Amino acid sequence: MRKIGEKILKGYSLAVYVFLYAPILIMVVFSFNDSRLLAVWRGFSLRWYETLIGDPTVWRAFYNSIWVAGLTTIVSIVLGTMMAFVMIRHSFRGKSLLDSSLYFPVVIPEITEALSLLLFYVFTGIPLGGLTVAVGHIAFAISYATIVIRARLVGFDRSVEEAAKSLGANEFRTFLHVTLPIILPGVMAGGLLAFTVSYDDFIKTAFTAGPGFQTLPLRIYAMASRGGVSPQLNALATVTLVVSLALAVVRLRLSKA
Amino acid sequence: MSSPTVIYLGVFFFAPFVIVLLYAFGMVGLLRQFQFFPTLEYFLEFFDSVAPSVFGRSLLMAFATTVLCLLLGYPMSYHIAVKSGRRKETLMLLVIIPFWVSFLLRTYALMTILDVNGIINVTLLSFGLISEPLNLMYNMQAVLLGMVYNYLPFMILPLYASMEKLDKSLLEAAGSLGAGPTRSFLHVTLPLTRSGVGAGSILVFVPAVGEFIIPQLLGGTESFMIGNLIWTLFLKARDLWFGSAVSIILIALVMLMVALYMKYITRGEEMTI
Repeated sequence: MRKIGEKILKGYSLAVYVFLYAPILIMVVFSFNDSRLLAVWRGFSLRWYETLIGDPTVWRAFYNSIWVAGLTTIVSIVLGTMMAFVMIRHSFRGKSLLDSSLYFPVVIPEITEALSLLLFYVFTGIPLGGLTVAVGHIAFAISYATIVIRARLVGFDRSVEEAAKSLGANEFRTFLHVTLPIILPGVMAGGLLAFTVSYDDFIKTAFTAGPGFQTLPLRIYAMASRGGVSPQLNALATVTLVVSLALAVVRLRLSKA
Repeated sequence: MSSPTVIYLGVFFFAPFVIVLLYAFGMVGLLRQFQFFPTLEYFLEFFDSVAPSVFGRSLLMAFATTVLCLLLGYPMSYHIAVKSGRRKETLMLLVIIPFWVSFLLRTYALMTILDVNGIINVTLLSFGLISEPLNLMYNMQAVLLGMVYNYLPFMILPLYASMEKLDKSLLEAAGSLGAGPTRSFLHVTLPLTRSGVGAGSILVFVPAVGEFIIPQLLGGTESFMIGNLIWTLFLKARDLWFGSAVSIILIALVMLMVALYMKYITRGEEMTI
């Protein structure tokens, strides 16, 4: 009786795993298909990747994605580290309010955040483009970065800083040579998370980009909603996916370091 | 030292919400010259529009998604939690990996299966089981499938966390006192994993209500949800005032649910996501 129960449970779980992975695997496999037809295998080919490489709009979108995510990362690291330090080391009035406000961008539906930012730009008359996208990405990436960096600061042994100072190092040198190397894995993990949420973002980008600016997710969405599925889009999605997974693997490594 | 961060969030996160609030209550004009005569007309318009039925449908879809995720996720989490060592780690990693792929990509991946030229239709046609391709997309079922597919890991993680903590000796005790598997499940396992069920449900339900990409790519008019409504109002109809009122109502709804969320999930656990 118990044996049968376990078998059923195992089969059930296996089915759920297949459900989780089959669509992604099929998308990846058919991006290497030597056929215009989407789901009939005609042999291995890189032709769809070649058409991607020859497509200037894809390159443009890739370039835009990277610089927006890069800018988001740098600003969120700096602002997030400052915030994390203050929250760990100081107590002040309104700290718990600040603490819970940090979670707003994480829990609020992204679409409400996206439209509020659009209204803000419309109201203040700021023209939409790549920078308005980055500004919006930073506004939620800060929260993610702060949460990750703060987690890293919790077990920080402050006596090493005091040792450096008593040996004559000033605030700045102490930070650069003692504090920073210790917290660096946390800062990098926070930065990678900021990069990832920016790189993957669709909704906020769509609301704040304006007509002339396209990132990879916007390009993928435009192709998917206009022409439906195509082997070329499979290839583009696969490339985007590989970057996301690589970022996640590095982040996982860092959090274990 | 945190003031630059606070200023940034104040200007680019909180101030925009204040502007939404002002628009919803009737502000007109731009920063240089604006007028504000408070009115409730846009909130009253809400009840005369399609919005209530769209809200109802979204809540229903989110609820169905939550129930299906629970049905799929609970046995699976249990299966993983009773394993040990490396096996457990690997099985859990396999649940987390889809988390690393964005909703947009995962929803597109689902399209490669459901599309008219997708794998299901092509396979069925080639075996002669159907003569015309089936319409598997642009309906309610496709959206529901997409929602369950994307949100399932959100359900499994907290469920797994609560089952991990479960003390197995309690089950043995129940067994040695004569309880069968069903009884010990209903009276021991289920009550002790209630916090996981609650947290997982909120984690799925809250974002599912405001979901946009999945109904946009997989749905049709019959599966039009709040996210689609807001998108249409802002980017197509350019009705900023009514759009703002709809958004304020959505935010209020979510705040209410987030209060529940705070009750169930400790902050430390969020960071593992």
